Amino acid sequence: MLSESKTAELISFLTPSTRPDVKGHATTYILGLSGNRDGCQFLRSKPDLLVALFALTSDPSIAIVKDCYHVIINLSADEKLHNVLVEKVNILPVLLKNIVDPDFPFSDQISTILSNLSRHKKTCKAVFQALQEEVGLAKVVEMFCTEGYNKKANFHYLGLLLSNLTQLPEARSFIMDKDRCIIQRLLPFTQYQASVIRRGGTIGTLHNCCFDHIYHDWLLSDAVDILPFLLLPLAGPEELSEEQNEALPVDLQYLPEDKTREEDPDIRKMLLETLLLLTATKVGRQIMKDKNVYFIMREFHKWEEDLEVISTCEKFIQVLIGDEPAEGMENLMEVEIPEDVEEKLKQADLKEQEELEKEQKRREEEETKKNSDVNQKDGDKESGLTL
Amino acid sequence: MAAVPAESDSDDSMDEFMNNFKTGGYTGAFNKDTWEQEFDKIPMFMKTAPEEFDPREYPELGCIQAIIHDEDRSPEEQAKSLKDEGNAYFKEKKYDKAVVAYTAALQKYTEDPELNTVLLTNRAASHYYLGNMRSSLNDASAAKKIKPTHLKALIRGAQCCIELRSYTDAIKWCDEGLKAHPTEKKLQDLRVTADKHKRAAERDSRKAKIKEKKLHGEKEVLLAAIKDRGIKLLKASQRRQRGSDSEDKDRSSTGAISELSLDGLSSQELMGAQVFQDEHGQLHWPVLFLYPEHQQSDFISAFCENSCFIDQLVVMFGEELPPWDVDRKYYPQNLQVQIPIEVQEIINSSVFSAFVCRFFVKAGTPSFMVFAKDSPFKTKFLTGKKVKRL
Repeated sequence: MLSESKTAELISFLTPSTRPDVKGHATTYILGLSGNRDGCQFLRSKPDLLVALFALTSDPSIAIVKDCYHVIINLSADEKLHNVLVEKVNILPVLLKNIVDPDFPFSDQISTILSNLSRHKKTCKAVFQALQEEVGLAKVVEMFCTEGYNKKANFHYLGLLLSNLTQLPEARSFIMDKDRCIIQRLLPFTQYQASVIRRGGTIGTLHNCCFDHIYHDWLLSDAVDILPFLLLPLAGPEELSEEQNEALPVDLQYLPEDKTREEDPDIRKMLLETLLLLTATKVGRQIMKDKNVYFIMREFHKWEEDLEVISTCEKFIQVLIGDEPAEGMENLMEVEIPEDVEEKLKQADLKEQEELEKEQKRREEEETKKNSDVNQKDGDKESGLTL
Repeated sequence: MAAVPAESDSDDSMDEFMNNFKTGGYTGAFNKDTWEQEFDKIPMFMKTAPEEFDPREYPELGCIQAIIHDEDRSPEEQAKSLKDEGNAYFKEKKYDKAVVAYTAALQKYTEDPELNTVLLTNRAASHYYLGNMRSSLNDASAAKKIKPTHLKALIRGAQCCIELRSYTDAIKWCDEGLKAHPTEKKLQDLRVTADKHKRAAERDSRKAKIKEKKLHGEKEVLLAAIKDRGIKLLKASQRRQRGSDSEDKDRSSTGAISELSLDGLSSQELMGAQVFQDEHGQLHWPVLFLYPEHQQSDFISAFCENSCFIDQLVVMFGEELPPWDVDRKYYPQNLQVQIPIEVQEIINSSVFSAFVCRFFVKAGTPSFMVFAKDSPFKTKFLTGKKVKRL
């Protein structure tokens, strides 16, 4: 990489008083470095450089500031750099102060950085702490939910940030505060058509929140009413009879014929996993049965093509139509699984995964066969599998 | 009253003093007979204040009122008194009077934002209980403008929006309120209520849309069936052509469909009959039979297109002749059915469907004229008119 002297020279260019064109070249060069792994490693070893660079985020030239933020985005994507960014460069207070400013032009970039930093638990904790100190999680939710809070930012990546933060129990208990109205404001975004990031972030947040089964009663009650928001993305335009319609939750009744389902299979899978989590308690299972969730799932199963999603769907349907578990085992999350049973279950999961992969392969081969049938090239070549 | 004697005076003057009470009363004493009424006139002992009163009858009350509403007091004091008056009326549920008082207060003194916020919020509450949701909302909004975190105004605004069915606005008010008062239970509850109503209203609109579409679809099928048979539908009253073709084109399916909903009858007993298609695809028409000779008419609510005229006539005239048929001529074999416009004679054994396409169906109800075959009236009626025979 760069020699010591060259590095020192580079650092000297990163001062506010440097000529703009020289400054610009320096930041562009660093941006290039941050684009690959070796470059990132190099930068990791030069905290002084990063401090100087970060200081330039208050430079009067918009182009320079933009480059700086993009460098930080790249660096934050690499977990190894998290420590130096948060500790040595101490970016969090400045970022948080800027993001709440409704006129700040780079709030989306900050959102991305924060969501990168919060991916892994260790830095996530640091982010959460700084967040609570400087801004408060309530403010983040407000910015996420208020359309037009910042005319230059859409804050979609804050959804991912929230999702990452909810891996921490303290974040979850804040979002699910029964004395406040926080999680309720997130619910409508499970159907936000314009951004898959926002949708995914919201659903990820709800998914994580459902791991705490003590909240299930409250989540399924009228105070939050999480169920329709999880089912709507999976519900389709298929016509149901009036009788069937009236038996569903209000939001799922009489859906128009142009209703579309969630287009991202990973999000569909996450929705199903969240619903599955909510069947852990007896109350949850009863509510699902009372509200005839089965109708929705039956139509969904007919429509779904992705194997992994189908598999999760089938697990969910199994609980919906299955019998109640034996006494003492009603709360599926609290059941103690004996070791040998656990081993068997692990084996079963592995086997299922194998089968899934086999089926996937088979389907792909069929596709390829179909394609090569269509594209008849040489008569000599076997129209068949290309392995 | 006599002054209390000094200590140095003897007991005699005390006795004298006391004796006075035994013989004479004191000024201002109650009258033995009317003491209850007099009691009620003293402000301190009144149970309820009179609405209107003559100050000469109630001098003390008059005095107090004068003090309260003395024009010499500062506007601020007057406004505060009016506020208290409004509050008092409010407690007694006299909301219209409360509104008057608060309005007067607001006009008296406008410099104090705190006071104005309270006055507007209280007036909003009064309007709310009077059922004037719009006025209440206006007052709550005005209060909110002065003091955006005023909890009572925020709650009131949300409540008004719910009553006015503006559920999205109600949720907005709640969210605004919760920003300043995140743990306020009343706001959270209102938000849940508003959200619930909003989603129910959305469901109702979806349901209505689907029903309408279904109905429209059924009407389209019916219209297609009618068109297939070459039948043309006419409006009840002919609209004069304005020379542009677009009006003719406007006779699109919606125009024709709306025609189907008219039964085009002036008679009041006959309601809502409309052509329909049964499960075998046959159309059944509401039909009017006119008897020009006797100025009578019969309305058949459902004439199957594949049935013969004669069968229908037998049903109508077979068992007994109508009371207006004084000449006893209207028995089935003697009846002649005509199509009004072209005055086309129909052989009674022919089937309905063969004829409906020959003419315009006016107002969704085909009508036929029925004559007794060899009646002089018929001849007279038909002279000068082109008679086509089939």
